[in-house]
Amino acid sequence: MKKFSKIFVISYCFSFFFFQTIFAGTVVDKFKIEGIRTIASTKALQSELLKKLDIKILDLNLKSTDSGWPVLRVEYDPEIVTRTKIETAIGEIEDPAGHNYKVHKGPLNANANLIEEENQAMMKFGDLTMDLKQVNNPTVDFDSSIKRGKDMFVKNCAKCHGLNGNGYGVVAHGFTTWPRQLWAWYKADSAADSYLYWIIENGKSDMPPWGLVLSEEERWDLINYIKTIKKPEGN
Amino acid sequence: MAEKIRPPRIRVSRRIKKNKVFKVKVKFDHPSFTGLAMADDTSDPVFNRAIPVTFIRNMLVYYGDELVSRLRLSSGIADEPLFTFKLKAIKEAPVKVVFIDNFGKRWEASKEIKFKG
Repeated sequence: MKKFSKIFVISYCFSFFFFQTIFAGTVVDKFKIEGIRTIASTKALQSELLKKLDIKILDLNLKSTDSGWPVLRVEYDPEIVTRTKIETAIGEIEDPAGHNYKVHKGPLNANANLIEEENQAMMKFGDLTMDLKQVNNPTVDFDSSIKRGKDMFVKNCAKCHGLNGNGYGVVAHGFTTWPRQLWAWYKADSAADSYLYWIIENGKSDMPPWGLVLSEEERWDLINYIKTIKKPEGN
Repeated sequence: MAEKIRPPRIRVSRRIKKNKVFKVKVKFDHPSFTGLAMADDTSDPVFNRAIPVTFIRNMLVYYGDELVSRLRLSSGIADEPLFTFKLKAIKEAPVKVVFIDNFGKRWEASKEIKFKG
């Protein structure tokens, strides 16, 4: 038994240090990128970066990021390359049209808070008051409705609300208020229907009145889908 | 960017008679762009963010001390826009136009209204 324990401890220590030397060097980091304007931009950025630095590009996520900015994920050995070097290299690369890329470091918030003068003006000339009416969800086949709702969400809503409903869609930058994080309605019961229906139909603040575009059935499909949006882990 | 933007310029009708409608023109050299691009149009949403957005988000019109109009704007407004609107000349008082952009920066221009003729 003692012999066995000794062998086990030695093997364990050996494996530990062996794998440490292989994997200890790499770090995965993310960079928000400004300047991705075309399909050629994405290729140019990645190919030029690989030529300049000894790194591995894991992916370039254009649309389903937490911030609404495209995110480049890279893996590198911090003893060879630093984050600052990568940022500098990105800033030196030009896309085919001659524009430089840049790591976005400014405030995520391009939606500065309303100043007092604007608040006063909105109190006088503000948005519509909500006139909620009692509504009844006529959906029979919820599975099909949710599937249609998801397609519509991706096509119409995700650009502002984000693909995962986090409110940081690419178009949401600059809005007076960030779009609502839709997992607030996760598994909501029928008590939420009047509010959701009114908002979709009439819009609010920067959200347009989708009632002009979507039929009643489509609005209910969206509501049914919104109620399935779960808060992503880590948020 | 806000530091390079000149204040707006305002112009009103030459002859303004009491209780008659007059025109106000305001030129404001403020950029307006969504900052969106289509680097991958094969999947929805087709747009991605390329550069920071900038636009005028509110335009407030004061006649004297009273707020008479609020225009809630968006990036759909033209670059360096020219606004034209009408007011009824009920009093001799300054017309002031205030612009606020999405970064919370503020600009204003005003013109005194005097009755003639």
